[in-house]
Amino acid sequence: MTNSSGLSSSRHQNKTGIPVGRVLEYAGLPIALVLLVVWFRLDSDSSTAFRSSANITNILANQSVTGIVALAMVIPLVCGYFDLSVAAIAGLANVATAAVIGTHGQSVLVGILAGIGCGLVAGLVNAFLVAGLKLNGFIATLGTFTLLGGLLQWYTGGQTITNGIPRSLSAWGMQNFLGLPRPFWLLIVVAIVAWYLLAHTPLGRKFEAIGSNESAARLVGIRVERTVAIAFMLSATLASIAGVLLTVRTGGANPTGGTSYLFPALAAVFLGATAIRPGRYNVWGTVFGVFLVAVAVNGFTFLGAEAWVNNVFNGAALVLAVMISTLVGRHNEAKLKAAVQHDAPAPKDLPEPDPIDTHQ
Amino acid sequence: MISPGSVSSAVAPHPDIIRIRSVVKTFAGTQALKGVNLDIRPGEIHALCGGNGSGKSTLIKILSGVYQADEGGTISVGERSVAAHEMKPSAAVELGVRTVHQDLAVFPDLTVAENFGLGGGFKTDRFGRIAWREQRNIAQRLIDEFEIPTTPNTTLNKLSLAERTQVAIARALRGSEGNPSLLILDEPTAALPVREVDQLLTSLRRLAQAGQAILYVSHRLDEVLALSDTISILRDGSLVETKPATGYTEASLVEAMLGRAIEQALPHTPHTVGTEPTVQITKLTSGPLSSINLQAYPGEIVGIAGLMGSGRSRVLRTLFGLEHVEAGEIRFKGKPISFTRPDQAMSAGIAMVPENRIQDANFPDLSIEENITVTVLGRYFRRLRMATSAARGEASALSRSFKVKASSVRAPMTSLSGGNQQKVIMARWMQRKPTLLLLDEPTQGVDAGARADIYALVRAATAAGASAIVVASDFEELAQVADRVLVLRRGRIVAELTGGQITAHRLTELSMSEGNERP
Repeated sequence: MTNSSGLSSSRHQNKTGIPVGRVLEYAGLPIALVLLVVWFRLDSDSSTAFRSSANITNILANQSVTGIVALAMVIPLVCGYFDLSVAAIAGLANVATAAVIGTHGQSVLVGILAGIGCGLVAGLVNAFLVAGLKLNGFIATLGTFTLLGGLLQWYTGGQTITNGIPRSLSAWGMQNFLGLPRPFWLLIVVAIVAWYLLAHTPLGRKFEAIGSNESAARLVGIRVERTVAIAFMLSATLASIAGVLLTVRTGGANPTGGTSYLFPALAAVFLGATAIRPGRYNVWGTVFGVFLVAVAVNGFTFLGAEAWVNNVFNGAALVLAVMISTLVGRHNEAKLKAAVQHDAPAPKDLPEPDPIDTHQ
Repeated sequence: MISPGSVSSAVAPHPDIIRIRSVVKTFAGTQALKGVNLDIRPGEIHALCGGNGSGKSTLIKILSGVYQADEGGTISVGERSVAAHEMKPSAAVELGVRTVHQDLAVFPDLTVAENFGLGGGFKTDRFGRIAWREQRNIAQRLIDEFEIPTTPNTTLNKLSLAERTQVAIARALRGSEGNPSLLILDEPTAALPVREVDQLLTSLRRLAQAGQAILYVSHRLDEVLALSDTISILRDGSLVETKPATGYTEASLVEAMLGRAIEQALPHTPHTVGTEPTVQITKLTSGPLSSINLQAYPGEIVGIAGLMGSGRSRVLRTLFGLEHVEAGEIRFKGKPISFTRPDQAMSAGIAMVPENRIQDANFPDLSIEENITVTVLGRYFRRLRMATSAARGEASALSRSFKVKASSVRAPMTSLSGGNQQKVIMARWMQRKPTLLLLDEPTQGVDAGARADIYALVRAATAAGASAIVVASDFEELAQVADRVLVLRRGRIVAELTGGQITAHRLTELSMSEGNERP
């Protein structure tokens, strides 16, 4: 492969034309997605069902919830913090919206606001635990994930909420706009906003700086605790939007509906970190990751695979994604080190400074 | 057999003597050690002294097997001998060289018995279970032998630091009983509170009286003189001399460490210095610092010289809002300030380059451009988006004028050498045109060329009216760049030198020696 021969080769690539290695590195995920789509369309066992417009609409609409949950996870991850609770926050917003509209007979708008409000409260709890008390984000949000799941079971009594949800609400989610389902458009809008925030605002740069080196971020004047808290609140906002969309899609709420999005979203996020901006969690990589997993599971189902394939594929994708991004990262680092050692000048004091004076 | 040097010929031969012969170590073309010979007798506390870059650390690392020397040298303990280029940590232990580093590598949450077990292996019964009773007996024997005032079941965090050091020593020497061995202590008292130093030194004397050979490395000259029997001095990678400790005074020790050549103080070009201080610190107390007074005037580079633990970084960190002011006052441009966060200090016009680049300054995953623009993010947020091309253009221009050697500012930070990374960090702060520049070891791990570039940048900033406060452990360097140097010792300013008075010699003497304090 072209990119295995060190930094210098990338300069040659520009002269010789298309750098195959780099294209594969950046666009591997979208290419894999296209190949899968082509395969399922051509394979006679799956082609008819797979290419039906009902199926395509179904995939696009269904995965919009997964996609928004995954994007909710991306934002704190850019800061270097896990937020596992996003799926539960989506579940909370889902149940809250459905309960306010259905059980309490409020308007759709009030329901949506209530759902997002509840999600934000949960986000505030996460922000307090992780940014305020400086608890380990992974464990703290695993805790809030489980806790919220339990509370939803208690509140709903394990029952789904469907009564009193106006048909118009779910009808909105069924319709197309410019030939594509409306939930998919919502995903695109959310993705554009998330991408704008992360890539085009000072806030996004601060997130990346914290994710790269929190101590250095503090020393360049970034208010780390506040910024991390903002990341968790933004994450909760997106998760709540996903929850409301879930209410629209299912015409109600199911106590375990939201929480089931955790692993597909996680797989998508890590797959996403292997492409577009390899090695970094990024918005468009995540969107491609979501659809890669969805298309694969969908196609295999038409090829006769059973329901368990879903989990097997998600798990395998997660492990593979982590493996690829770690190995690529290590490979690039080794390449850089070799390049540095090659043209680095002789250091001033290779034997480290005598302990006459170092840290305090 | 290599003929013993003139030094050891004066010493009565002892069968268990430790001999270091012709140890050479080359790093990237420069010789850090140029053929060192050293004899250490059992029962002797042998101090190894030397300044910055003298090769002291390198020699210890070779003896403990961390580095391998160039071919040709040998290290022998009694009858056992190993080629110096074949030293490995395991070979060192087998040979009988046991090292206790400054950080001790003990486990504070575990008991004394467990700490001994983790260092020297646990005794297990036939089911593989740890034989706790036996383990405790072993621990008790070591405790008795080394006279440590503790019990096997005490957790280490209940012990004083001196006692923990004793535990680390006992653990290091475990298993060498009956065979000759060398105990290397690397700055064992550096982290100890004053009152515990004596406790440790007494225990070391007892060890030596029992026949242990000890190689003692410390920069505290008073301790070295009080404790050791013999002193060897390294300078520029060569062993300069070995003499009985009674033959030295603090002054002659410093003299020998720095060499006889009397340094020529560099002519200091007079700099226009404003009359209103940029920063004025009055009776500041914070952590190790007590009652510090300091002023820095526009156009001036003020140096702070001091050893580890003297509180030198604390001065800078307090000014930058990272440490709490316990007492005293800081005035910045005439107004009293009390920052609690770096961003407040930054908006007032203060910049700080921290001591530890990797830990506290680099963003390794980000590009050079992102590393530069991180302090001025707001500047490039135009028309609701980051002005990427403007930022890139500015970053490229900066990295050119700061002589950063990089293919492009889009390259990751990790692709740069240490010196170039440091220039990027300088650029990050200089573009803010700070009025007060705080530099903590700005040239650590930086090559000579980059060092000159960095100080030229600092000088350019002060020429434009800024003030700079520089902390550097390289006193030679401080003597070259600073207009005025304050010497910190144990949290107090003990001297202030200006102009021609500033020499590395004086700085070393003032920051190391206790006693003759001069205002």
